[in-house]
Amino acid sequence: MSRETPLTAVARPALRVGVLLVYIVGVEWARALVGTAPYAAIPALVLGGLALAMTAWGWSRSSLGLGSSRLGLRLLGGVAIAAVLLLPAAVRAGAAPMFPVSLAAAAVVVSVGEEIAFRGALFAALEQVGGAPLAVIGTTLAWTAAHALSHPPEFLGAVAAAGLLLGLWRAVCRDLVAPIVGHVIADLAL
Amino acid sequence: MKKAFLLAAAATLYTGTAWMVAPGFYDGFTPPQPYNFVCPPPQAGANLQPTSGHLVIKVIGGVSDANSAFTDDGQVVIGFLPGSFKVNPGQTTITVDITPVSPCPKPAGLHFSTNAYHVTADATLVKPATLVMVYSNLTTDPSFVYRAQSGDGPWENIGASSQARLWTIDTKTNTLGYFAAGFPSNAVSPTGAGSGQQVLPFIVAALIAAVLLAGIPLTIIRRRQAAGGAGADEEEEDEEP
Repeated sequence: MSRETPLTAVARPALRVGVLLVYIVGVEWARALVGTAPYAAIPALVLGGLALAMTAWGWSRSSLGLGSSRLGLRLLGGVAIAAVLLLPAAVRAGAAPMFPVSLAAAAVVVSVGEEIAFRGALFAALEQVGGAPLAVIGTTLAWTAAHALSHPPEFLGAVAAAGLLLGLWRAVCRDLVAPIVGHVIADLAL
Repeated sequence: MKKAFLLAAAATLYTGTAWMVAPGFYDGFTPPQPYNFVCPPPQAGANLQPTSGHLVIKVIGGVSDANSAFTDDGQVVIGFLPGSFKVNPGQTTITVDITPVSPCPKPAGLHFSTNAYHVTADATLVKPATLVMVYSNLTTDPSFVYRAQSGDGPWENIGASSQARLWTIDTKTNTLGYFAAGFPSNAVSPTGAGSGQQVLPFIVAALIAAVLLAGIPLTIIRRRQAAGGAGADEEEEDEEP
């Protein structure tokens, strides 16, 4: 049996954060770039979503926030998050973008994959290194950077604010079910 | 209480930032850059006027070369095969121009999702050209590309190919003229996304109603459980997969 030194006890989680960060942002950027090619939008979304979901490997369900207790409240929380995310577009109804129906299934895959990657695995890894505040700030920054290629710059403030809301929910409620539900509904509605 | 305050503050921050760039949160399905409208819809916000395009095609051995004309903002691309034009004797180049049409045509019975563009050349097109038009995410998806020989119409439906890229519509045309992408005013866009603008407020209203209607009884049940037995409200952090 090998004994863990204090250095490796710190370095290993930090290294895991670094690897996850590069992998997740790399997948998101690759997805955004490949998705602009002809006929590549749906494959890019599906493959990107699956690649992001793979970050769950090695984590327990509870450390990802995917426990099943209080499921009713978790689902209801997801509905509430969706309502908040959609409210500006609903009030300014004319500004709602048009979401092609053909992308619906792919959007579900990528929404779930993103939540597992950002608020699941990356959040858990960052929390091990620096606690919940670092996890919230780190996932919000990574989430914003990951969307830098797919969104015009003026939208990144709203993207960051959405990431902060989802990350705070994950930290405060110890729950990933609600961010997944809210994210999926928001993506399907827009 | 502090937790609820944090979440409420984050929700308020999101609503404020998203309001400035409505619709705010949507996830990677945006066009790479905002559409430049001749006649911007109210929700477009800051708008730049669309640009025109100019192309000189070489004539080699009496045959026009293959090439593509496009506007500087990339909103219209028209591709020509070798020999697409009937070359006049002595002609060494063919000039193609693309110009956004202003004022915006508003033909009866049609709704245009894109600007109308006038495509001209100083030779006659004899082979079908491929026309690609970008459209905005802020307007209803177009169903077809329409063509006219005059800005006043009549507008003829020249179809549309299957969607190769997001936010673009393409077709083939055997003559040049005026082009715009849109749909019949009395039709719902067959891509199925057009109803989103009308449905979204109802979706959000339903979500809020669900939270209110289901949240109250759920909260009451949770409080009763918490009061009735220790550990009922424990977190599940130690649960194994």
